Amino acid sequence: MITVHGLRKRFRGTVALDGMTFAVRPGQVTGFVGPNGAGKSTTMRVILGLDRADAGDALIDGHPYRGLRDPLRHVGSLLDAAALQPGRTARNHLLWLAHSQGLTARRVDEVLDQAGLRAVARRRAGGFSLGMRQRLGIAAALLGDPPALLLDEPFNGMDPEGIVWMRRLLRALAAEGRAVLVSSHLMSELQETADHVVVVGRGKVIADAPVAHLLATAPGARRATLEDVYLALTRDEVEFRAVDPARAR
Amino acid sequence: MRSALHAEWTKLRTSPGTLGLALAVIVSTVGSSAAVAAATGCAPGGCGQDLTRLSLTGVQVGQAVVAVLAVLVIGDEYSTGMVRVTLTALPRRTTVLAAKAVVVAGVVAVTAVPAVLGSLTVGWFILPGHEVVPRAAVGSVLYLVLIGLLGLGTATAARNPAAASGIVLGLLYVFPIIAQVVTDPGWRRHLQQAGPMSAGLAVQATGDVDAVPIGPWQGLGVLTLWALAALLTGGLLLARHDA
Amino acid sequence: MNAFGQVLRAEFTKFRTVRGWVVAAVAAAGATILLGLLPGMQGSCGRNGPGSECAPTLGPGGEVVVDSFAFAHRPLTGDGSITVRVTSLTSRLLDPGPDGPPPDDGSPHEASAREAATPGASPRGSRPAVVPWSKAGLILKAGTAQSSSYAAVLVTGGHGVRMQYDYTHDRAGTPGTVSTDSPRWLRLTRTGDTVAGAESPDGTTWTTVGSVRLAGLPPTVEAGLFTTSPQHAERVGGSLGAGTTGGPTEATGTFDHLLVRDEARSAGAPGQVARPAWEGENVGMPGPAPQVPGGDLERAGGVFTVTGSGDIAPAVAGAAGIGVSLARTLAGTFVMLLVVTVVSTGFITAEYRCGLIRTTLTASPRRGRLLAAKAVVVGAVAFVTGLVAAAVAVVLGQRVLRGNGVYVHPATTPTELRVIVGTAALLAVAAVLALGLGTLLRRGVTAVATAVAVIVLPYLLAMTVLPDGAARWLLRVSPAAAFALQQTATQYPQVANLYTPANGYFPLAPWAGFGVLAGWAALALGTAAVLLRRRSA
Repeated sequence: MITVHGLRKRFRGTVALDGMTFAVRPGQVTGFVGPNGAGKSTTMRVILGLDRADAGDALIDGHPYRGLRDPLRHVGSLLDAAALQPGRTARNHLLWLAHSQGLTARRVDEVLDQAGLRAVARRRAGGFSLGMRQRLGIAAALLGDPPALLLDEPFNGMDPEGIVWMRRLLRALAAEGRAVLVSSHLMSELQETADHVVVVGRGKVIADAPVAHLLATAPGARRATLEDVYLALTRDEVEFRAVDPARAR
Repeated sequence: MRSALHAEWTKLRTSPGTLGLALAVIVSTVGSSAAVAAATGCAPGGCGQDLTRLSLTGVQVGQAVVAVLAVLVIGDEYSTGMVRVTLTALPRRTTVLAAKAVVVAGVVAVTAVPAVLGSLTVGWFILPGHEVVPRAAVGSVLYLVLIGLLGLGTATAARNPAAASGIVLGLLYVFPIIAQVVTDPGWRRHLQQAGPMSAGLAVQATGDVDAVPIGPWQGLGVLTLWALAALLTGGLLLARHDA
Repeated sequence: MNAFGQVLRAEFTKFRTVRGWVVAAVAAAGATILLGLLPGMQGSCGRNGPGSECAPTLGPGGEVVVDSFAFAHRPLTGDGSITVRVTSLTSRLLDPGPDGPPPDDGSPHEASAREAATPGASPRGSRPAVVPWSKAGLILKAGTAQSSSYAAVLVTGGHGVRMQYDYTHDRAGTPGTVSTDSPRWLRLTRTGDTVAGAESPDGTTWTTVGSVRLAGLPPTVEAGLFTTSPQHAERVGGSLGAGTTGGPTEATGTFDHLLVRDEARSAGAPGQVARPAWEGENVGMPGPAPQVPGGDLERAGGVFTVTGSGDIAPAVAGAAGIGVSLARTLAGTFVMLLVVTVVSTGFITAEYRCGLIRTTLTASPRRGRLLAAKAVVVGAVAFVTGLVAAAVAVVLGQRVLRGNGVYVHPATTPTELRVIVGTAALLAVAAVLALGLGTLLRRGVTAVATAVAVIVLPYLLAMTVLPDGAARWLLRVSPAAAFALQQTATQYPQVANLYTPANGYFPLAPWAGFGVLAGWAALALGTAAVLLRRRSA
């Protein structure tokens, strides 16, 4: 279980996190949504010990990330699929990660299979498409067989087959009792995949509820989608909004 | 620490540039040593020069490649963003830097030994009959290792490989150049004592040790201080900064 | 605005909006200026009270000259000749004083005259040596004042018999050294404004070494014997930390068979019996003057020696010379070169790294034009920053050097302008070269490392590490050849000195050196343009 409590952070005058508090429970896929600049990525980076919060804490099973021994065995994560050295092969990229956690090459081959990358394992990662890099990132996240997963925009750049694969994978991981946090802008995908949604805006949590509950209590229509709910919730929280093309006329 | 070391070693081993750079260190060192030795046409043992040092001149060329190799070890991670993956896998940042330092030191040492021995051998064939001083050979290997650590520390602090390689090369060569144009002999000596390259290379001096501005091991000590300072700065910034 | 102007504008905006690049450019210019001011920390000119000013005199040709030697002379009016036999010329290195080797800076009095203050007495140790350009022979000189017009025929320690006149001119006679077994006879003959120098192995068969017209010669000149021996300098260690060593030298010439023929006196008034008196004098150097027994060397008729130290030659900057050249104020150029190289390479590789190149190429699909615009931007930025830094460093740097008692060789205004504009041009073209390499290699680190290795490293190695031969070779073929633009000093073969790049002597002529760099840049940019068009982005 990942718990985030009262996180605050400022970047040179702009408030990035303003008392962010929520929990990611095991056995569920938790969607993490909010407008651009709402603090989703910063929160994930704080959870992973990459950024330091000015106040508050983010704990994995009660421990700060930086205190974990072999952290990839506790939390698997995918932040930026492009963040790899292009000259190294996919397999070697996973290999050094495995070695950093005391894992063997056999485990690397297992996750390569799981991510469907076996055929391209010995190709330079620099030549991969975004979708393939996402699969490589997922493989890295699964490497330590962790009870919790943190995935930032995993659907990005995936082909339709990949999206279906990703959806099934996330469901399966939750079904195995893992805690899965997925940030995404694709409400339709989350409506299909997520059990629970945390909606954030301007560095705080706006809503933290089961998807079913949100849909049920949505004002207006019976056929409300997660997208409608999201837009209603974040109406006042969006920092940048284009002029509605219909009204601009 | 063990797994961090294992990971860093795998990373360096599987990085496509490493082998090429290591070979470049050896080739540039031995090659320029040979060129310099050949260009110095003097009677065997009788040209009043420090022949051991002369045949190790290539170290001053090879060190540039060593610096680039070391800068790349962390600099490339910064430029690709992979450093975040690394720090997610190994959240103890000082451990990461320490592991990198060990791996860099090891790889540079393994590369420097053939480079230095090759230079000495070539020098001995071109200018036969001079005595080879072991201290100069061992010192040159240590010198290159320390240059590698200096590069690693600088790159960690600068977080940009291009800027880092510029800074390291500037740091290495600025002192000798300034020392050459400074008119005051006292200041010149001080500059040569303080510069990482001019002080560190004192370890190669075998002839008239008094003519060198700083003692051989003290000079290497000065370079060690530079490397430590760079690593410390890099370590502090790495630990403090958001990745 | 035309299409190229638009691309240019876009590229300039791209450059100036990256704060790191702007900061780096400004910081590099600052560092260059600072390093230009730093070297002038200490000299001795004018610092040790009145009389210590370094004011090397200007010779008849208007160039700076050194003029110090031991001189035994008498006046000679009108036409006439002087003949002597030289039987030996020996030299000694005087050990430098307790304060280490003399600085190769601007302290001529310290470097030559002070050390020569005690020739012969030698309270310090000294050892015999061959000083190739030690000189002993005959001289006809407009007066005993320094830097006056002269003609001399002389034997040297290692370059045979020479005829030299008015400091910069040198003609070779018979090679070989003198000894008692093979002495040299020397003769100078004045006929009107013409002075002829001749040599002979036996005093009967004479060979003319040279004949010159000296327009500035007064009716009465000082004629006599002289000996002098220049500063000695050598490179020790051939490597870093050792540098140059050297010091004053002293030569002793042994003469006999002196004969002066004075046409005016032999043809003139018969009542005048007494010959003009001989005098011993040290020109431009203190210390005991040559002994003239009885004030008449001719009557003495025997063997006598003259011991002297110094040189009669154009003044050169560097280890064996005096003062420094203008180029020293630009010692910090390499810092700018380093930064310009890194920034210009990054100007294109940064686009490849983050995929911005695709956006750029979508906006400006004509790739050749895009590359040209980028080259203009980096070149112009480097040129302007370099121009400002070089101008300030040269102007202020000279002032600081002189203010601190270092002698800076004067340069004409066109030369100064060439150095300043040349430095800016060097940086601009180096920036274009770096951009070309960046485009070729695309990957940031590789490109920066290569660019630094190709552009900056040769200069650094040539200046600090490599022995002279290798350094000069590198400064002919590598992009660093363009540093010849900073050359202000002339090399004279008849002046012993270390004409090393570190002392401001480059193997190529200024614009030829620049041409080498320009060639490299054209090659890199041309190849880059072709590849950029062919490759997919």
